[in-house]
Amino acid sequence: MPLDSRTYEAADIAAVQELYHANGWTDGLPIVPPTAEAVQACLDWAMMPADQLIGVEPVRGLAVTAEKLAINAVMAGCLPMHFPVVATAWTAMMQPEFLMHGATASTGGCAVLVVLNGPIRLELGASGGFNALGNSDRATAVIGRALRLCLINLMDVRPGAIDRSTLGHPGKFSFCLAEDEEDTTWLSLAETRGIPKEASAVTVMAAGAPRQIMNEWTTKPEEILETFAAEMRANLRHYSIHPGNYALIIPKQLREHLQAAGWSKADIASFIHERARIHRREWAEVGKGAVVRDRGDSVYPAMESPDQLLVVAAGGPAGGFGAVIPPWLGHKSHAVTVPIGACIDCEPPKQ
Amino acid sequence: MTFRVLDPTPEKAPPIGQLAPRLGSLRGKTVGFISNGKEGTKGFFAHLDRLLREQHGVADVVMRTKSNYSAPADPHIVAEIRSWHAVVSGIGD
Repeated sequence: MPLDSRTYEAADIAAVQELYHANGWTDGLPIVPPTAEAVQACLDWAMMPADQLIGVEPVRGLAVTAEKLAINAVMAGCLPMHFPVVATAWTAMMQPEFLMHGATASTGGCAVLVVLNGPIRLELGASGGFNALGNSDRATAVIGRALRLCLINLMDVRPGAIDRSTLGHPGKFSFCLAEDEEDTTWLSLAETRGIPKEASAVTVMAAGAPRQIMNEWTTKPEEILETFAAEMRANLRHYSIHPGNYALIIPKQLREHLQAAGWSKADIASFIHERARIHRREWAEVGKGAVVRDRGDSVYPAMESPDQLLVVAAGGPAGGFGAVIPPWLGHKSHAVTVPIGACIDCEPPKQ
Repeated sequence: MTFRVLDPTPEKAPPIGQLAPRLGSLRGKTVGFISNGKEGTKGFFAHLDRLLREQHGVADVVMRTKSNYSAPADPHIVAEIRSWHAVVSGIGD
């Protein structure tokens, strides 16, 4: 079917850029011109009709079609092969438990962390190696950016409009990584969340900025993980006491020690769940004594249960650097994992 | 080279609700407050409560607080709105 969006004419590439910037349709960086041909190529690759409903945002009732999603994906630099990942991530973000409106409007300023799992990582060249949380590769860069442009243009999540972030963080340009599934003995993140290994999947999480740790002076799992737990305790003290999804990014140098000692992701989550917790009275030590009140002895774990920890194997081969990625605001938003190519709202096929 | 490029926005206005009929007067009426639960709502709604009662003759003010300040109001609060003549929803950042 033909595309339904309004068409604009621009004399040259510079005029295209000015058109989109002038209308507030960008993240401040140049965009790829979303021509009908480029948008249609994305839709064809994903085998989606232009008017396919990707979802309705649960709070404001905003409907999003495949065509509009594809326009923003092209603008972000996506090739057609990237588009199914963008559509799946967007589907995940629109699930009620993700609370897209709250997470993207909040003064807390979180971004949408996207983790790719399964064979599609290799097809796209999505890297979980060097610089995994930075500009590691084309696929993760453009997929993460596409989601931000979709938020800006489809949900009006512009700074000062729906986006009320006090600070935000650099992940709001793009915050996507692939798990390094080839260089670990662990189950992938998607597998730990019920997705078969053969399937590709996207996990989204409303996430604060990464907090980097370093421990290159031990091989003991308990000591390595204590450093991660300490960073989570710092987040509980300095940011938010509310429990929720945390992501741990564990690089090869550290996970080899953990794997050699026979620690699985479940073992890590159990240890972290026990160690990453504080007493409310600790807030008095960091200038927040006013809200301790008579509950100083109350204990606040970083997670309600071990399964709220998202353990991701990623990072370059050398260096004892890991990262704790904290939740936007505890359990108000839950991480969502959706397999690519699966329809979670479809009617069952008629016999 | 001329480019023909597409609009990335929804182009269609989002669905919006209709405003309830305006009240001629607040005197003798019941007004509900829906707070998002943040600290800043307390002073604001307390002051508004006083203004409505003292200057506008409001008979009763009902205060309700959402269980999640980032999500829509809980269904039981939305259901209760029917029993109020007017409602004020406020955030407290």
